[in-house]
Amino acid sequence: MHRLSTFLIGILLVFLTSWVGVVAYSSNKLGHLDPIADADTGGSLPPNLQGDAIAGQRVYASEGCIACHSQQVRQTSVTGTDIARGWGVRPSVARDYLRDSTAFLGSCRLGQDLSNVGIRLPDAKWHYRHLFHPGSVCEGSIMPAFSHLFEVRKIQGQRSDEALDLTGADAPKEGCEVVPTTDAKNLVAYLLSLRHDYPLPEAPVKKGAEATK
Amino acid sequence: MSNTTLSHHHDPESDGAKAVCIDASVRTPVLLLFGNALHWLVVASFLALLASVKLVAPGFLGGVAFLGYGRLSAIARDLFLYGWASQAAIAAGIWLMARLCNRTLGGVLLRTLINSAVVLWNLAVLLGTLAILAGYSTGVEWLEYPNWASAMLFLSFLMIGIWVVCLFDRRAGIESGGRAEPALWYLVAGFCCFPWVYGTANLLLTWKPLQASAQGAVQGWFCNGFLILWLLPVALGALYGLLPRISGQQLNRRNLAPLGFWLLILFGGWAGLARLIGGPIPAWMASAGVVAGVLFLIPILIVMINLLGLRRGGDNDGNITWQFLRGGLSFILTAGLLAALLAMPSVSAFARFTGVTVSLDLLWLFGAISFPLFGVIYASLPGLLGRECWSVSLSGLHYWLNFAGLCLLTTILILDGLFAGLALLDPVVSFLNITSYAQPFHVLEGAAWLLLLASTVIAAANFTRALAAERLFPKK
Repeated sequence: MHRLSTFLIGILLVFLTSWVGVVAYSSNKLGHLDPIADADTGGSLPPNLQGDAIAGQRVYASEGCIACHSQQVRQTSVTGTDIARGWGVRPSVARDYLRDSTAFLGSCRLGQDLSNVGIRLPDAKWHYRHLFHPGSVCEGSIMPAFSHLFEVRKIQGQRSDEALDLTGADAPKEGCEVVPTTDAKNLVAYLLSLRHDYPLPEAPVKKGAEATK
Repeated sequence: MSNTTLSHHHDPESDGAKAVCIDASVRTPVLLLFGNALHWLVVASFLALLASVKLVAPGFLGGVAFLGYGRLSAIARDLFLYGWASQAAIAAGIWLMARLCNRTLGGVLLRTLINSAVVLWNLAVLLGTLAILAGYSTGVEWLEYPNWASAMLFLSFLMIGIWVVCLFDRRAGIESGGRAEPALWYLVAGFCCFPWVYGTANLLLTWKPLQASAQGAVQGWFCNGFLILWLLPVALGALYGLLPRISGQQLNRRNLAPLGFWLLILFGGWAGLARLIGGPIPAWMASAGVVAGVLFLIPILIVMINLLGLRRGGDNDGNITWQFLRGGLSFILTAGLLAALLAMPSVSAFARFTGVTVSLDLLWLFGAISFPLFGVIYASLPGLLGRECWSVSLSGLHYWLNFAGLCLLTTILILDGLFAGLALLDPVVSFLNITSYAQPFHVLEGAAWLLLLASTVIAAANFTRALAAERLFPKK
């Protein structure tokens, strides 16, 4: 290690092993996976995302949801906990993220895993109330309130269908209502789209697994 | 530390004069970088404290979009990574390379280029932070800055890094066939790896994102690479460069050092996959991560063999640089052991996603990496300012508060993580139940952040005070 040129070639070669093995392999193989045809519906798996769910990913990113929520059900060879907790019916695989713009795998679980939240909690109204004030539907939750994704406004004529049914301290003043903004609607559409429950060749769903979820 | 400590020659008088010249040539960029880094560190610690308060009292600062936990914690971490650690590592790299190679930073043009790069770097950090606050985060962990801000960081680094790397071939004694010392290998490796790791990750995750199915592995590779291939080598460069000189002793078993170096670069790249054990990556990748993660202990042990035995002489009593360097060494060992443990699938199964994994990154960043960088700050300041003009008691306080805060924080996080991880194994125990039992841990974490904030405020105040003293009473 006398001259820079020889030294740099050495670093290059050693560094290249992980670069080729991890980065180049990922982008060439995992980066070109195709969806699978869904024989039941004629669609494809993983299912396509609707426009509002795609926009919801931006809200998920900008609010930093990934700080507390992971989106991956781990392989049963490593741990069965994720599935036993009802966070999914089968482990997540690379193809599950095909429709996402960013893979929000996450590294921390201060909150629950969200890879199948669309199945576990399919009610949009519940999500609105939860985002507005998490403690009102999950007592003891440490999730912060995302009330800035909602608008408090005077009721014009008839109360909006979208208005949240809030009670107690959360309830708006007489004559007012709380409605979700576009960001909140997109975010909830994205959350409801999260489901890794369809069978893939590399991740079959065991018969009867759905009944136990 | 005296000006002659770092030079190769044996004529103390000319060495001292040369060191003064070198320090004068790198003074502006190094002081600017260190000063900015320390002040970002204070801001980041404050934000991390706010975020930890929000875990205890979720309603605190509620309803304010830009102060949500998600944004605060992302901003704080990015400021720790780019505002503090990377910036201090660049400064440490410039000063160490110039001193160890015994070469000045020549040319008005080059100095202007480097000074503008420093401004560009800080502008990128500031704008990137504001962008996350405003909701323009990319959502990729550790790479939340929008792509234009990360491009600015990348460009700024190139403007400085190329010069630092080229110093390797201009070092004193190279004409007579003198071999480079280990400190230089690590510094050059770190400065080569930054653009590669950061550029690749940004290219594939934020500038022109890959199909998301391929992003997981790249994310894991990047996070580990950023710590282990960029920041850690600079910290090791500081340890290999300064510890033998301060102690006046040779490295133990110097012949092992090349092996340690190459294995660190090799396993450091692969070990990132251990962050994804059980995750949506091919099985062979996870296995490679396990193997590399455990074998990463070998280079760590070689570093310990080389450096742990060095003892200081009597005249170094209370030497703050020495304290920080030795502290860094012990955190490298602790982090290396914890990393090897976490790379085992049976441990990862319950400890991953909990406070244990968080504490590992904190041990790397705030212990293994930050302690040696603080050591370089305290080693370089007297030469750069022309005298020792910081407060000795404040620097001692900085060390102990930092040490205590970090030990408390990582211990609490590990306990919290073990508790939560083991409780999660039993599906009968509800998630909310586990969360509520973790609350006392979160309170203690807040207390630890308070200690860390206090230590960083002291460090920044001490640095600013030394600069002000220099301006008020300039050296004759």
